[in-house]
Amino acid sequence: MTEETLKHIKELEDMIRSCSGIGDCREAYMYSVNRIQVCPIYEHSPKFEVYSARGRLRILMSILDRKLDVSKKLAEIFYLCTTCGNCHTICHGTYSDNIDLFVHNFIDHVKVWEAFRADLFEMGLAMPRHLELMNSIKENNNPYFEPHKDRIKWLEGRKFPETAENVFFMGCTEPYRMPELIKKIIKVFDKCGIDYTIVHPNEVCCGSIALRIGDINTVKELAKKNIEAFKKAGAKRILIHCAGCFKTIKQNYPEILGEELPFEVVHVTEYLEQLLKEGKIKLNKKIEDKVTYHDPCHIGRASNIYDPPRNLIKSIPDLEFIEFERNRENAWCCGAGGGMKSAFPEKSVEIATDRIKEAEKIGVNKIVSACPFCEMNLSDATKESGSNIKVIDIFELLDESLD
Amino acid sequence: MNLYAQLEDIVGPDYVSNEDFVLESYAHGITGVGTKRPAIVVIPESAQEISEILKVANKKKMNVIPRGGGAGLLEGVLPLVSGGIVIDMTRMNNVIDFNENTMTVTVECGITWGKLNSFLMERGYYTGTLGPGSGMSAVVGGGLSHNTVGGGGAAKYGAVTRHCVGLEVVLPNGQILTLGSSASKYIKEPFSKWGLGPDYLGLFLGDQGIHGVKTKATLLVYPRPKYRAYKTFSIRRRGDKLWPEIILELRKKGDLGLYDVFYFPELIMQALQGLLIVKDIVVFKSIKERDPKGRAVMFYTMEAETQEALEANQKIVDEIFLNKKGITAFGPEIEDGNIAKWHYEMNGHWQVYHGFWGVMGEKSVPQTGEHHIPVHQYPDLMKKFEKWESENSELLNKVRAMSGVGSSLLCDHTTVEVDSGLTIYNIPEYHEINDKLWRSYLNMIVESGGMPYMAGMRFSRALIDVSAFSDEFYSFMKTIKDTLDPNHILSKGKYYFE
Repeated sequence: MTEETLKHIKELEDMIRSCSGIGDCREAYMYSVNRIQVCPIYEHSPKFEVYSARGRLRILMSILDRKLDVSKKLAEIFYLCTTCGNCHTICHGTYSDNIDLFVHNFIDHVKVWEAFRADLFEMGLAMPRHLELMNSIKENNNPYFEPHKDRIKWLEGRKFPETAENVFFMGCTEPYRMPELIKKIIKVFDKCGIDYTIVHPNEVCCGSIALRIGDINTVKELAKKNIEAFKKAGAKRILIHCAGCFKTIKQNYPEILGEELPFEVVHVTEYLEQLLKEGKIKLNKKIEDKVTYHDPCHIGRASNIYDPPRNLIKSIPDLEFIEFERNRENAWCCGAGGGMKSAFPEKSVEIATDRIKEAEKIGVNKIVSACPFCEMNLSDATKESGSNIKVIDIFELLDESLD
Repeated sequence: MNLYAQLEDIVGPDYVSNEDFVLESYAHGITGVGTKRPAIVVIPESAQEISEILKVANKKKMNVIPRGGGAGLLEGVLPLVSGGIVIDMTRMNNVIDFNENTMTVTVECGITWGKLNSFLMERGYYTGTLGPGSGMSAVVGGGLSHNTVGGGGAAKYGAVTRHCVGLEVVLPNGQILTLGSSASKYIKEPFSKWGLGPDYLGLFLGDQGIHGVKTKATLLVYPRPKYRAYKTFSIRRRGDKLWPEIILELRKKGDLGLYDVFYFPELIMQALQGLLIVKDIVVFKSIKERDPKGRAVMFYTMEAETQEALEANQKIVDEIFLNKKGITAFGPEIEDGNIAKWHYEMNGHWQVYHGFWGVMGEKSVPQTGEHHIPVHQYPDLMKKFEKWESENSELLNKVRAMSGVGSSLLCDHTTVEVDSGLTIYNIPEYHEINDKLWRSYLNMIVESGGMPYMAGMRFSRALIDVSAFSDEFYSFMKTIKDTLDPNHILSKGKYYFE
């Protein structure tokens, strides 16, 4: 190991050495705020320290002090993380807007995990499955080994204007793996009279996967291509549904490129909530059902978007909404993020099964989410556990309720 | 059969590891100063498994370090010699029995105070004292080993050890022993520790884990009263003198239902509010807005079964505070600066104290000297702290460390816990001096009459370093240690038992 091979964590050394090691990131129950557990990986592990944020920060400290070598096995432990950010929330949480302890803000845990993954990637220690995905992104502009031209296959020849104020960023998962969902999103956009375009064939993978894996150079390339495409379309606003794409473009692009984006990045639930508030759309049709909302980590904890999806759901007549016991910043991760679904699919579903059981406990029929990864993984967990709970996207409800 | 294979046989292959990175994660204290790596880590799930592990360790004369939440601040769970076995207790984290007839709960000792109290509060009960300030991650076994306070409730319920009426321990030779009323085969429910002879259970309370591995504990539980009151006061001056005056007046009024009483001295409030250390950083946002000079703060939380009782007690307590010159009260809500409410209603105890330690910015961590004293000694103790600081100013400056007193809280009777210590920078080049300062600081506390409450390795050795014990007492301690642990395998090094 050299200074060069550890350059990403070296940059965050102050954060790593700021951990006071109390271990609330390991397990934390707080009756007062319904806080139940913290780390999905720790809970689904043999519970050695290395499966918790505290243990991992300790290890990074030792690596920086040259007391520990980086190995393939160690790398695997660091890839075994959904990067859900719950460790960050508990480390920083006072749960009161009036109590702000600056000392709680020294560590950005997810940033540290991703920085170390960047070092691991550069040392050639990424997970083999992740490298396969990266090859596909480089060859096809998507991680699904699908031809780039098929990104809009589901559109069945529909044409879009060259330029528009709003650009809808499709992402990879929905066009290639969930075409029915993306058709619903388009249908809802049409019902709402939204003026938008898409930027195919210039749209490429957002780079979320590359970033979570640690391939920073590829993310930079992808980011530049997408930004160029958005600029070319004259975009003032980028509308995004996929939670991973949203976080990557809104938060990570400016960080990685070191420059402000020349357009606004808005999650579709934020945009539709605004239209609802302005009275431009109405959710008129009744839906008689009992649902809960699962906060995707990338738009919840990472982006603080908690109310817009809830306000939309709650505006649907007759629809009964019940919160998960663990909700908003306490929400339990679905288990799919951070490259987990591809590298550790079984563990991913194990974690998602916790969420299904939680939904059964509160007596809902459906879990509503706003992230294709959450939807896929939670659905897999219902099949695995034989649950009758259905997992749907918020756009299914919106389509049904809009005139 | 080698050690690894033997342990694998006992706990199963998933729960034993000798990977270098696994071992390294068990070899760090809060300060970043690494200690020795253990040879192996095991995570058992029963007393029987621990018994087998200890038998193996005894045969091989290997050091064994029991570890709970690893949240202690005085290096109580760190290996002091290379090559030991760490027993990580965190898989043993279940509630075994909740008995409303005896108002007790029996738990595995690896359960966190947070998990246990979430279970109890759903049923209208709590453990009274909610463990330490690290109650979300600290476990019951560690709390009983340390005589824990700080997580809430200490003024009313004292340290957690007061409420332990039953214990199952595994002795270093592997024998599983039940203590308390359940030691009698005719007593079916644990309910008291007295009546069957001397307090042998007490041998394992506050023992810093040197006598045995705690596997199961029975604690008294209490109904959580329906009515609560909270008030926070700003102290214009003389806080150090007013603190003992107020506490003694409160205690002399008898039982007022006080759940907690806290004091944050001016220095810590100013530091926290960024007036001395970092400009323009909001800490207790609400207090800062109302009291920008960073005055000392005291607060209480109080409980009662009826509104009338609550109001009557509150009147007495408020009079004691507000009759003192220079004391004013903040408003009733958290946004008014009433952090007492935050502490009680939102487990503030569990979230705030670790934050204090980072008061000097990134990489600053604590080297604590938390201890107990009778409250009337508080002003004198402050002078001794100042003297130590001045004598050690050169070294402190060299590593940019700061010494001082954070919060103090009322515990049993007139005892207060004083959160004093050092805040140091976790920078490798500073480690040697930081270590030297810490030793000196702890020695000073012991020589000043402070009583460690969580001793760990650090304070237990400070007691010996400054010859706090008489020869007779230390010899008595050693006789008990030798009897229970003839090969000194358990927690080697504490109190210099090598």
